[in-house]
Amino acid sequence: MIRKTIVVENELGMHARPATLIVKAASKYRSDFRIRMEDMEINGKSIMGVMTLAAEFGSNLELIADGVDEEYLINEIAELFANKFGED
Amino acid sequence: MKKITVKEFFSSKKDDFSLSLVTTPETLENHITSQYLHRPGLALSGYFERFSYDRVQILGETEISYLQSLKEVDLYDRVKELFVFNIPCFIVTKGLSVPEQMEYLANEMNVAILISRLSTDRLYHSLRKYLEDVFSPSKSIHGTLVDVFGEGILLTGKSGIGKSECALDLVERGHRLITDDVVKIILRDDVLIGTSTNDYGHFMEIRGIGLVDVEKMFGIQAVRLQKRVDIQVELMPWQDNMDYERIGLSDNYVEILELRIPIIYLPVSPGKNVSVIIEVIAMNHILKTYGYDAAKAYTRRLQEDIKRKAKVRSALIDDKE
Repeated sequence: MIRKTIVVENELGMHARPATLIVKAASKYRSDFRIRMEDMEINGKSIMGVMTLAAEFGSNLELIADGVDEEYLINEIAELFANKFGED
Repeated sequence: MKKITVKEFFSSKKDDFSLSLVTTPETLENHITSQYLHRPGLALSGYFERFSYDRVQILGETEISYLQSLKEVDLYDRVKELFVFNIPCFIVTKGLSVPEQMEYLANEMNVAILISRLSTDRLYHSLRKYLEDVFSPSKSIHGTLVDVFGEGILLTGKSGIGKSECALDLVERGHRLITDDVVKIILRDDVLIGTSTNDYGHFMEIRGIGLVDVEKMFGIQAVRLQKRVDIQVELMPWQDNMDYERIGLSDNYVEILELRIPIIYLPVSPGKNVSVIIEVIAMNHILKTYGYDAAKAYTRRLQEDIKRKAKVRSALIDDKE
């Protein structure tokens, strides 16, 4: 299992479009994927789950992947956040 | 291009338009190739530029009284000039009769003249409607058409994916079958209308059983003859790497006879209750038609929530007290 802490850097926060990108990217991998924000932990492959976080600009998130391809999964998701989901 | 002979038109619509034939039966061999009608007033007066000769020509009271007002020799020349064009047929309204010379020339030059007892206006409208139907674009699609809560749902997908079984399940839930396997789709007044290609009844093939008669089994309330096609639902086997719609903010469309209708790509896998999902698709479409879009409503609330939290966060950061 690997964990990685990231910050939401796009101004609009994790609205519907970024949430879809995250879920679609994560669903390609076989590893389990969860996102933790404060005391909330959700399944990162579930669109309703990711949107439930309503993570705003500046929030700290912990990405947790567990499985054979966990590293690739975390890298791709971290990349999405780093690129601000192609926004701004 | 579609065409029908004047004979086909005359024999099938004789009673509806109270038609009788003035000329010899040999004149009925011409083809009707246009859905439009024409009143040849200007052509009768000798102006043949841009004359729509390929349309069915309607002669009303005005045209007939104009012809009667002409001197015999002028009438003969004018009508002859007119008949040189490749005209499908003439229809005289109100049961009026044509000048004898015109009848003679029509037989000579092989142009049919029909007389209708209807008024010009009545004939014009009903004939337009009939020709529109005859000439409207149509195509056959491999699929099943069902009426779910009043929405016409066209189920498509590969053979054996379960279209018929899904339709059967929907019929069992009180919805109505239009046709199974081959749907004939006609574009009429900017609306797609689906019907069966034949009138044998509402039969369908269920793998492992063979043919079943849906109307006999479920009764008349389970079937209907035609339905507007609102949405296409493409049933497809579940694929891991396929990009399925997750939120529903963007709609996909398909073009049928150059008309765009929404299409939904629906992954099916064993144990999935497809009929319930089809019902949900129909209800969701009705809601959207009435102005409520669930995906938009949810994401709008999400955005408001994110904005509010971002405000709180920046307020706390700025608060140096």
